[in-house]
Amino acid sequence: MTAQSEAANRYLTMAKTFFGTAHPLFNAFGIEIDEIGKGRAVMRMPSNVALSDRNGGLHRGVVVTLLDTNCGLAIFSRLGDMRPIATIDLRVDFIREAPPGEAVRAEVECYAVQGDIAYVKGKAVACSDDSLLASVSGSFAVGTLGPAFDATVTKGAE
Amino acid sequence: MSASGTEPLGICCAGLSELQKQVLDDTPYVHFLGLKVSREDDGTTCYQLCFREEHIGNPLLRTFHGGILASFGEIVAALHVVEDPGMQQQPLCTSLTFDYLRPAFAGTIRAVPRIVRAGRRFIVVSVDIFLDKSHVSTGRFIYAR
Repeated sequence: MTAQSEAANRYLTMAKTFFGTAHPLFNAFGIEIDEIGKGRAVMRMPSNVALSDRNGGLHRGVVVTLLDTNCGLAIFSRLGDMRPIATIDLRVDFIREAPPGEAVRAEVECYAVQGDIAYVKGKAVACSDDSLLASVSGSFAVGTLGPAFDATVTKGAE
Repeated sequence: MSASGTEPLGICCAGLSELQKQVLDDTPYVHFLGLKVSREDDGTTCYQLCFREEHIGNPLLRTFHGGILASFGEIVAALHVVEDPGMQQQPLCTSLTFDYLRPAFAGTIRAVPRIVRAGRRFIVVSVDIFLDKSHVSTGRFIYAR
C-alpha cells in the first residue's frame, strides 16, 4: 500500500468513525461516505419518507444539509486533519427537486485554502441516473472555536 | 419560549392561509425538524425551532448544523411567501444563499422573514435567525412563481 492510499484510508476510517457512529444527525439521515481524498469527498444518503417534501422526494433542506456536511469532509481531506471548521457562507442553486424514492449523492471539492478560509464547490445528483439536482459553492473558516474533530477519534484509535 | 401572549396555531387554526396549512401538514421534513408556528399579539407570525439531538452539527460544541439552519430558514421563507392569500400555488425555491454570523448553540432559535421584492415572476425573501438577542445567521431565498 502506498503512503498516499494509507493516508486516504486513515482519513476514511477517521471520517467514518466521526460521521458514522456517534452523530445523531448523520445517523438520522443515513449519510454514508463513498470517497474521501485529495480535497474531494463523495457522500450518499438513501430516500427517507420522514425527510421528504410534499412530493415524496428528499426535501431541499435535506439536500443542503448533505451538501454542507460534505463540504466539511472535502475540506478535512484537503487539510489532512480534522481541525474545527465553520461555514461562513453557502450558496445552493436548486436545479431540480429530488424525485420520490431517489437516493442522493453529493460530490464536493475543496479547490483552495487561502489563509484561514477554505473554498468549496460541488453538486448533488440523483443516484439512479446521475442527473443534476443542486449545485453548491461556499467558504468555510478554518481553525475555529472548539477542539479538533479528530482529537477523540485519533485518541480512541491509539 | 412559549411566552404568555403567544398562542400556538396548530395545524388547522384560523390565521393560516390554505397554502401555509398545506406546507405544514404535507411536508414530513417540517415535522422532523419540529418547527413551531405561533401568532403574536400584534398579529405577526412567530417561527421557532427548539434544539434537538438530530439538529447537531458540531457534537463537541453542541451547535445547530448549518444545513438545519438553512432548512429552517427556507421553510420559514416558503411559509412567509404563502401567507399572502393571493398566492395560488406553492412557489418553487430556486436558490438560496446563507451567511453564518455566529455559532448557533443549543437553544430555541427564532426566524424573522421579510419579503425583499415580490415581482411578477420571482420573489426574493430574506430570513434572519436569532438565538435570544443574538443574530446567528441570515439567508436570502429566491422563489419562482
